Amino acid sequence: MEKNDYDVVIVGAGPAGSTLARVCAQGGLDVAVFDKRKSIGNPVRCGEGLGSREVIEQGLEVPKWAISTDVKGAKVVAPDGKEIIWESGETSGWVLERKLFDSWLAQLAVLKGAEVHVNNRVVDVMLDNGRIRGVKVKNGADSEISDVTARMVISAEGMESFTARRMGFPTVHRLYDVDTCYQYEMQPYSHQNLIELYFGNKVAPRGYVWIFPKGDKRANVGIGIGAHLETRVKNSNIKGADPKPYLDEFIRNNRELKDASTLMDFGGVISVCEPIGKFTMDNAMVIGTAAKQVDPIHGGGIALAMESGALAGDAILKAREKNDFSEGFLFNAYEKPWRETAGNKMAKRLLLRKVIERLDDDDLNYIFGNMAQEDLAEIVGKNRFAEVAARMVAGRPQLLKVLGALMGK
Amino acid sequence: MIMIDHEKCIRCVGCSSVCPKNAIEYVGERMVVYPDRCIDCGLCVKVCPANAIELFPKTRDISQLPPEARNRYNV
Repeated sequence: MEKNDYDVVIVGAGPAGSTLARVCAQGGLDVAVFDKRKSIGNPVRCGEGLGSREVIEQGLEVPKWAISTDVKGAKVVAPDGKEIIWESGETSGWVLERKLFDSWLAQLAVLKGAEVHVNNRVVDVMLDNGRIRGVKVKNGADSEISDVTARMVISAEGMESFTARRMGFPTVHRLYDVDTCYQYEMQPYSHQNLIELYFGNKVAPRGYVWIFPKGDKRANVGIGIGAHLETRVKNSNIKGADPKPYLDEFIRNNRELKDASTLMDFGGVISVCEPIGKFTMDNAMVIGTAAKQVDPIHGGGIALAMESGALAGDAILKAREKNDFSEGFLFNAYEKPWRETAGNKMAKRLLLRKVIERLDDDDLNYIFGNMAQEDLAEIVGKNRFAEVAARMVAGRPQLLKVLGALMGK
Repeated sequence: MIMIDHEKCIRCVGCSSVCPKNAIEYVGERMVVYPDRCIDCGLCVKVCPANAIELFPKTRDISQLPPEARNRYNV
């Protein structure tokens, strides 16, 4: 690496980092993105679903080649097998080819003038009197470690959040804060461009099974369960959460999937908790999944990452204008507005998740049994949970106890 | 300390995300364990979706592993 000083250094070339890089570079800042992986977006560790709203809000148009299939609605299945289908009549989101999508976002940043360096791992943070002033980067091709200085260092590293931890951000998860997941890409599966979600404490304790449709009769078939649960004796005689047997059981019981081929097999862990308590410090920020900015209900992180990347980018441009990269300035420009908007939404969804996880299968069957298609449309299409929940509780007072217990805590 | 079976490991970094001591990091193409930081809490074993982690309590380095485990991990 020849150049070793930038305005902005970003760790991680995922949706958060690349969005931030694009916004900063467009504003005339000197930006470098370092990613430890050899190619962007690889390995894929994602269900690949994305609602279209956030992308459109940023004035972007996802190229056809990064989209696996359009999503036109949702099918939700209760423990007793009752299905509710909501069809939006138009494209409400996509299942992506995530590798290509991430690559596209990185390319947009490069075209605006940002530098992207893959196979470059940040191994440490450089401090000057306690203030962050850069990072140490190891190029995968050689053993040499280079010092790279910057006015701003941003962690956009997803779940591992190595640099964020080094900088002192509280990114460690409790087991209760995460779902442990497993997913197969399978083929053939004849779907109708609907996202399918299967609930039930026997199907997926504190979680659900998803089938996300992909092109050419493929589908991502996955599961997430609470990592604090002790579903099986694992290695070393330790009881822990093991999602794969649940997923395999689901597939054995599915008429079509039981005979389908598996094209990809992987697992992962996702945040389903509150975001970290602090996103900013002098000369540094954390964005996206590294800051646990992940939807606590469905575990989706792409939309929040892009939103956060754009907001953080605007904040850095403002900081440059005032030549003030202090924690206080960054807090007011990025963290505060984030918490008032996306954070607020996340908090409501976390509460809802905590309600859902207290429901037994009888409660779930009741809710689904009494839910009409219009209710699902209200939930999925308009994000209006409270109204539907209120109607449900009115018909089944036991549910009120669940809510009451939560509010009391 | 813990041992990671790199054949089973899917490099999801779930273990590092719950490790309270930064004892597991994704370096290069695989997960690396720092036994001196490990406190034998077993959280990584509980969370691992690939069942790729084994805990050997009160073991501080590879030479203290049971011979059977050293064979199995080829160390």
